Order: sequence, then structure tokens, then C-alpha cells
Amino acid sequence: MAENPAARTVRASESSIMGLPLVYHWRSLFARRSTTLLTVLVVAAVTAVLAWMLSFAAALRSSLAVAADGRKIIVLKRGATAESNSAIRAEDMNLLTQVEGLDIDPETGRALISPEMLVQVQLPRLADGGRTAANVAVRGVTGTAFSVHRNVQLDGRCFAAGSREVIVGRTAARQFAGLRVGDTINLGYGSDRGYTVVGTFSAGGGPMESEIWGYLPSLMNAYNRTLYSSAALRIAPDADSRAVIERIEGPAVQLNASTEADYWREQAMLVRVYLAVAGVLVGLMAVAAVLSVANTMYASVAGRTREIAMLRTIGFGPGRILAGFVLEAAILALIGGVLGCAACAAWLRLVGNTKDMFGATTFTSMAFQIVLDPRTAAEALACVVLVGAAGAVFPARRAARLPAISGLREV
Amino acid sequence: MLRLAYLYRNLTRNPMRALLTCAAVALPIAIYVLSMSVVDGVNRFLDNSARQLRLAVTHRSSIINPLPAGYRAKIESLDPTRTRLLSVCGIDWIGGKIEGDPRPLSTLGADHDTFVQTFPEYRLTPEEIAEWNRDRRAIIVGAAAARQFGWKVGDRITILPSLPPYQPMEFRVISTAPRAEDPLTLWFHRQYLVEARKQAGWEEERVGFYFIKCASQADLDHFRVAIDELFANTPDETKTQDEKAFMNEFITQQFNLPRNLTILAAVTVFVAVMAAANTMSMNFRDRLNELATLKAMGFRGTLISAIIQAESLFLCAVGGLLGAAGPYVAFNHTPLRDFTVPLIQQLDVRAATCGKAMLMAVGISVLAALWPAWLAARMNVVAALRSLE
Repeated sequence: MAENPAARTVRASESSIMGLPLVYHWRSLFARRSTTLLTVLVVAAVTAVLAWMLSFAAALRSSLAVAADGRKIIVLKRGATAESNSAIRAEDMNLLTQVEGLDIDPETGRALISPEMLVQVQLPRLADGGRTAANVAVRGVTGTAFSVHRNVQLDGRCFAAGSREVIVGRTAARQFAGLRVGDTINLGYGSDRGYTVVGTFSAGGGPMESEIWGYLPSLMNAYNRTLYSSAALRIAPDADSRAVIERIEGPAVQLNASTEADYWREQAMLVRVYLAVAGVLVGLMAVAAVLSVANTMYASVAGRTREIAMLRTIGFGPGRILAGFVLEAAILALIGGVLGCAACAAWLRLVGNTKDMFGATTFTSMAFQIVLDPRTAAEALACVVLVGAAGAVFPARRAARLPAISGLREV
Repeated sequence: MLRLAYLYRNLTRNPMRALLTCAAVALPIAIYVLSMSVVDGVNRFLDNSARQLRLAVTHRSSIINPLPAGYRAKIESLDPTRTRLLSVCGIDWIGGKIEGDPRPLSTLGADHDTFVQTFPEYRLTPEEIAEWNRDRRAIIVGAAAARQFGWKVGDRITILPSLPPYQPMEFRVISTAPRAEDPLTLWFHRQYLVEARKQAGWEEERVGFYFIKCASQADLDHFRVAIDELFANTPDETKTQDEKAFMNEFITQQFNLPRNLTILAAVTVFVAVMAAANTMSMNFRDRLNELATLKAMGFRGTLISAIIQAESLFLCAVGGLLGAAGPYVAFNHTPLRDFTVPLIQQLDVRAATCGKAMLMAVGISVLAALWPAWLAARMNVVAALRSLE
């Protein structure tokens, strides 16, 4: 792992064949206990933050990746930036039926267009015992929605068309209060109509799992609305999505269309900016860790001058010595990294791992769960080993260049 | 004098170690300054909101439900003499974008006749107020927004609203609000929006929310309840809260940036403490014999502890100074000063935050030297002299 190119070239000119045994480095780390411990703690703190950030980014990425159905198009009013601030008239909705290239419902023979209305309701967060509330999206849909949003899977019963019933996404049910099956929530413009939760649904982990769905005409009535918010369309398997989008945006229809992937990418823009800023800060922290490791390794090399000289005298070449010290620092960093990952996992477990965030312009919350999965942990550990190795390169070079004979004479 | 010379010699006898320690403290301090600048900025923004004695009246069900336009007159009728309830300003959010630019704007339409009184912190000049009242296309743009988009007073700008009428609207910049606390928001005449909506065929006039300026804290508390009572049991019930609570709701929704940054700052200080403590403990270890000799010669343990503390203080202070000065200079005197944190505010690195960071560096130095200084004070001279490596 710590096979540095410099080490390899030096080794090529050496006659020694033997590497320093791992156990030597392991014991060396324990020779200066307090210094090793402090360095491990520095690395652990940096790893914990890094692992949290990588997990957050991974959760966001996977949530958005699930939403990226290439055959699905979201239509908004031109100028609107999100479903929640878009308003589409019934005439415009009719124009959409004439767009070529849409998938056809085999049962009704009509194009797969799902008219939808998006409003929101304030619900308390379960994570902090209801001290704060989030704006949860409420989507009015018809039966067509289930043919357009193919990844939506019902768990239990669907709402009945005539009655005041809703179904809730499984993430919403986990994160917000009052959304268990059988609960009643107050919806409507004056929050005066009770709707019963009759079932939950999944959407393959995508953002729709943070929503509440009900029957469109019933919800439009409850919210005094005559306008739709948006439409979701399914493109025919043989049609080109670019062409369909151009037709919708063209002079005949004049609405705004984007694929689902593009739509969600734009909504997550803010959070991506925050993540980028956090990335820079964590990068600076990692540099501080590199310096700290370097400091420790310089001291270690200085304190072991005679020992290193001895190793040289008994036949270990400079390449071996260099590789050995880099390896030693990498082990040190790895211990810190494992500790840091454990701290991150404990934090997620104790403080809570459900997050929700605002879409850039939706004003509704998108909930997701942060999990420190093995892949993310491995990524974090790989970064940390690099930090350790980077910190050790210069001190290890000093060790490798120690003159063997005069080194032995040092006190 | 001799002690200072000894301190200086100690600092310079391992320049690499001193340098690495300074840098390992400077970087975390820089991170601390950057994250606390954002947190302080948010708090300043909220404090201003609290100081302004304003109430925000929104629809009880959701902020996206607008209220009837007639509510302004009804709220005003609660205090016809306008001594306790100073002004009522109807506001509509239209978000908006500039054609061909992906950056979202925060554009608000406000009742032009009460805007100046409701938002006195904009401190418009009499000329600007005259312009604002005269031109129905007048727009006040936040200072940071103006810098980002290169707008100057007198410029004509076209904004595409994210809400009805969804058609480009033209404005004329009358002020770049250099003295306002909020550097990002754009304000224009709500009446202009009403007319544009009518022309585009959106009939009903409703108002997003109302801001109300009160005369005193007691009046604020009174009207917070009185307004909700006024509209109880109507189809459009209201939720009235003070401006700080209203703003805070938005900020905690933004993935709770202040809280997360505070945690990051705390971890970062921990890193600095460990890095500095590492150096001090290595120094102690390397100089064990020397310190024991000093003690054997008759110097007292407290003096030796003080020397260790002083060295730690010096290293951390230099690191802290570098770490605080870096971001301060970068974000006040280079092009980076226009950097904004989306939807929250401009990143404003203030001297006060840097000062706090310096204090933090001093605290770090004390913590870092605690253990070696204690060991030095209690050192057994004979045992230490014998521990020759």
C-alpha cells in the first residue's frame, strides 16, 4: 500500500531482499504512547467529519439517482422553477395530449399524462420530538400517476377516489409525526379537512417517498384550486425524449419540460453548494492532519537515529527504511481512521440519521437517511491512509538518508 | 531577559517542529473563523430581525397559501391612530431569475406606501425615497446581489418571475441598499405585480404575507395574539409570529447550516488542541533531562511549567494569528469578498469573529501544555536525570 515510486527506484539499486517486519512498526508505535495517541485522535476527528460528509453526499446522490427515470418528463408552467410554484390551466393540460411521442395506456388508449397538484403541510419532525416542523409535500394525483411513476409501489391499500384518504411515502412516515396508517391529518386551505392515512408507498428510495399522496379532485377542492401544478408524462419506448421536450417547449404548447433527473438535480443545487463548501473545509482539516502526522514522524525519526543506523548496518537498504516509515504512518492513520469511522457511526446512531432538506425553490422538504455503508467507510479510510502516507514521506526520506556509521555514534 | 532568551532558543532549536505546529494550529483556526463567520452572520441577521419589532402574518395552513388583499385594512383597523401598530406592508415572493442565468434571485414585491416605514433598516436617502415613490418600476437590490450581477443605480433589469404572471418584468434600479443587513433581497412595488398579473389574465388579487411594524415589544406581544384572534374562524386563518421566528424557520430548513457548522468548528478546535498537545508532549519528552537539570540547579517547578506554557502560547498565538488573518484578508480585501452562501447571506468575516478565534487559540495553547506542564512541576529530578535514553 505504501509502495512509493521513490522507494521502488531506490530498492532496485539495493541488494537487500528483506522488508522490515510489520510487527516492528506496530511495536514502534507503542514506544511513544502519548504522541501516538494524540496523533491518532487528530486523524480520528478528521475521519469522523469526512465520513459523515461522504455519507451525506452518498445518501443525496442515491436518492436523486433513483429519481432519474429517463422516460419520465416533468412539465411546469414556463418561468416556474418548481412544482410548488407552477400553475397550469386545464386548457394547457389538454394541449399536452396532442404532443407526439407519449406512451399510451393500453387499457384506456389515452396518453400517459398525470395531472398533479402540489401543496404542502407543516408537520412536526419526529427526530427532535416535534420541536421543529417541516414543510411536507402533498401531491394530488389520479390513477394515471401510478402508470407514469413506475417505481411507486403500494404497501397496503390505495386511497379511494371518493373519500378523504391519503397514502404516505415510507420516508415521510418515518420522519414526520402523525403519518401512521390509521392516523388522521388535517389538510386543505384552512387545514380543516381530516384525511385518513390508509397506506404507505415506496418509490425505490427516491424523493417521492417524502410525500403524501391523495386523490387529485378531492385535494383540489380542499385547497380551493382550479389550476394544476404540473404534469408528469411517460415517453413512448421508441420516442426520443429530447424531441418530446422540444415539442412541449415549442410554440404549440409553450410549457417548460425537463427530464426527472434534471429537475431533481436543480432542486438539490443548494445542498450541493453546501457540500462543496464543507468539502473545502474538510480538505483544510485533512492538511492539518497531514502536518500533525509529519510532526510526529519527524520526532520519531529523530528519536530513533541509532536504531535506524543499526537497521542500515545489518542490511536494510534506504528504500526499505523509507517504505517502512511510510507504512508505519499509514498504520497510525488507519487506527485513527477506524476510530473516526466508529465515532461517525455512533453519532449517526445516537443523534439520528434522518435528514431533510429544502429543495432550492420548492419550499418542501425532501427527507433521506444517512447510512455509513461499508463502501463509504472504505473511501474514508483510503483517504486517511493517504493522509498518513503523505505526512510520512518527508520524515521517511530523512530516515532513509541517515548515514549509517555516524548515526550509530549518536547519543 | 534570560528566560526570554531561553524561550527563544527553545522555539528555534527545532524549526521544523515549530513550523508544523504553527501550521497545524493555523489551519483549524482558519476553518473555525470561516464556519463561525457564517454562524455569526446568521445570528446577526436574526438579531436584526428581532430588533426591528416586526410581526410576520402568514396563512395558518402554509406559507404558500396567500391571504386576502383586504387583510391589510382589517389589520390597520386594530389601531386606527397608528401609534402602537406603525405600519402594515403586504409582501409577495416571486423568486425570479435573469434570463439565461441559473442563479436564483430572492425578489419580493412590497406595498410601496408602507415599505419605507416598515423596513427602516434600509436607511434609504430622501432622494431614493422620492425615486421609490415616483417610479412604479423601481427596484431596490441588495448590495451583494448588485455586485454579483453587476447592477448599478439607474440600470434597467428584466426579471422572469417564478410565480404568476410568469412573464418578464422590467425594473429600474433605484438603490443598491449599501446599509441594509440583508444583502441579497430585491424589493419592488407589489402594485406593479398586481397589474402585471391582471394583464396576463390572473384575476384574483391575494397577498403572500404581511409584515407589521410595531412601536414597542409590548405592542408586538399584543398584536401577535390580536391579529390571529381577528381572523379566527374565517376561511383564511392566520399565523402571526415575530420576524425572528419566521426567519429561523427558513434557516433550520436549510439543512440546519448553523448547527452543522458549529459542530464542525468544535471538531476543528479539538484537532488543533491535539496537534499542539502532541508537540508539547514531544518537546517535554526530548528535554526531560534538561528540565531535570534546571530543577536540580534550583529553578522551581512553577517556573519550568511557566516556560512550557509560554512556549505553547507563543506557537498557538502565531498559528492563531495566521489562521485568523488569512480568511480575514481573503474575504475582505480580495475578489472572494463577493462570495455568498446561497439563500442565507454574504460570507462576512468580521474582526470580532477573528478576535474570538484568537482567544480560542490562547485556550488551545493552555490545554495543549496542561499535561506536560503538570508533569514538569511534579517531576522527580533524580528519576528524570537517570532516564537517559
